[in-house]
Amino acid sequence: MTREAALNAALFVALIGTALVAQALGEGFIITLATKAAIFALAGVGLNLVLGYGGLVSFGHAAFFGLGGYATGILASHAMSGVPVATLPFTLNGSTEMLAIWPLAIAASGLAALAIGALSLRTSGVYFIMVTLAFAQMIYYLAISWPAYGGEDGLSFYVRNTFPGLNTFDPIQFFAICAGLLAAALGLVAVLTRSRFGLALRAARQNESRVVAVGIRPYSIRLLAFMLSGMIVGLAGSLYADLNRFVSPAMLSWHMSGEIMVFVILGGVGRLFGPVAGALAYIALEHLLGGVSDYWQALLGLLLLAIVIYAPGGLIGLIAGRRHV
Amino acid sequence: MSEPILDLHNLRKTFGALTATDDVSLTLHPGEIHALIGPNGAGKSTLIKLISGELRPDSGTIRFEGQAIDRLGPAARARLGLARSFQVSAVIPGFTVLENVMLAVQGASGASFRFLRPALRDRALTEPAQFHIAHVGMGTRAHMPAADLSHGERRRLEIAMALALRPRAFLLDEPMAGMGTEGARDLTAILSELRTEAPILLVEHDMDAVFALADRISVLVYGRIIATGTVAEIRASEAVRAAYLGDAA
Repeated sequence: MTREAALNAALFVALIGTALVAQALGEGFIITLATKAAIFALAGVGLNLVLGYGGLVSFGHAAFFGLGGYATGILASHAMSGVPVATLPFTLNGSTEMLAIWPLAIAASGLAALAIGALSLRTSGVYFIMVTLAFAQMIYYLAISWPAYGGEDGLSFYVRNTFPGLNTFDPIQFFAICAGLLAAALGLVAVLTRSRFGLALRAARQNESRVVAVGIRPYSIRLLAFMLSGMIVGLAGSLYADLNRFVSPAMLSWHMSGEIMVFVILGGVGRLFGPVAGALAYIALEHLLGGVSDYWQALLGLLLLAIVIYAPGGLIGLIAGRRHV
Repeated sequence: MSEPILDLHNLRKTFGALTATDDVSLTLHPGEIHALIGPNGAGKSTLIKLISGELRPDSGTIRFEGQAIDRLGPAARARLGLARSFQVSAVIPGFTVLENVMLAVQGASGASFRFLRPALRDRALTEPAQFHIAHVGMGTRAHMPAADLSHGERRRLEIAMALALRPRAFLLDEPMAGMGTEGARDLTAILSELRTEAPILLVEHDMDAVFALADRISVLVYGRIIATGTVAEIRASEAVRAAYLGDAA
């Protein structure tokens, strides 16, 4: 086992172990923190596919996080009121079943990512950052100004959605769902980035014209990566909505895009478990430093600065060393 | 002469007031090395870019194996078998030699949307890649990151990548640039062999290499081809001497 593989395993064990120990000690709040870390890590894994492996700095991934969240909130609230979400072109009833909600949340965020990616991938560099940001902000303002689903106040749905065979109200069982999906997403990204598709995606990050010269269009490779990335982040948004039983425009705002980016950069850009390390560190800092000072994010900022300057491989790179990508 | 593989007809390209390509017609025939020489700023790189599809001409047409390719983008032209190398070494620095060549094999296969099998265990990629790496004498370097290669080795890697595209024609933009005498001699031998794979349009400053390799030479000055002919004809041409060789040879 390489050093990085050992570190990756240790990180995952730390996440699961924290939740299990908290369960044994009856510390429900710690389990919730671990669940939040797993969800943020999932969002980071999604972003890492484009940011880390594709070299595409998307500053708009809150759009997919929020859309996944809103899809969940809207379906749940309609299930409670009994009014269908839509009657045309077909009747779409609300649902409180995670297994019914996830595909819709993933589809909604995937379609949005396809549309946003198709337009923004025609630009590059700082323009790409700005265009993705602009699209996300558009959706953010739409959510604020759309009163049907709470507008600025957000949308509560009080009861966590259900999963067959599990009691999702039990924090440890909901954590198990989130950690399971995180593991699945990590497996998916590991397979994707090693495949032919991944080879082309990683090559396009390093030398676009070379990729064109061998007859591969980076645009279509990147667009697919962007869409898959949006779908993973949308699933994370759905889980986040269920964790809080509440969605609000804050999930769509650029702060959220920045936060997901922080998980990736803190942990290690283009490292499979980077977002896991980043999200764990973020949540731990929030919990530990948040108690010390309300301005804990200033310290986070300093840490991020140090990472970017002294350890571009993030926490993973710091411990496992650099590797060729 | 046989049908040309590549046939440029009255190409013209201007950038503002500058005419970088001025009514250029040129052919590349099977089995030949056609060298394109000219002083700095003569428009050689522009012409290469017009052929590879990175730039679009203002007028004129390019036919490749009898087919007009004016509307095709660079990736589509590469898939048709027009393999180019770059003036500045262009490889994927973070990839190993093997991965670089695998990428080219993958490009030629046209199948990049495969998601499950690890590329490094895909024998349809690794076996042809190993073959081409051995062909350019880099067999022992297959697992070295491209960033760690010497300049000459990187040039060879580029040739291997071009070979992996199973090209119908090579566009080589200054393959000898920055190479030592010995490296240049080695590469000359490799290029000389390459012409049996596919004809080569060679842009090169190294006159020894050009005179050793070229079947025909075209001289480009201020965007215009002032002479095309065999090595002997070009050496003997007064116009070429005045415009170019006069100060070089």
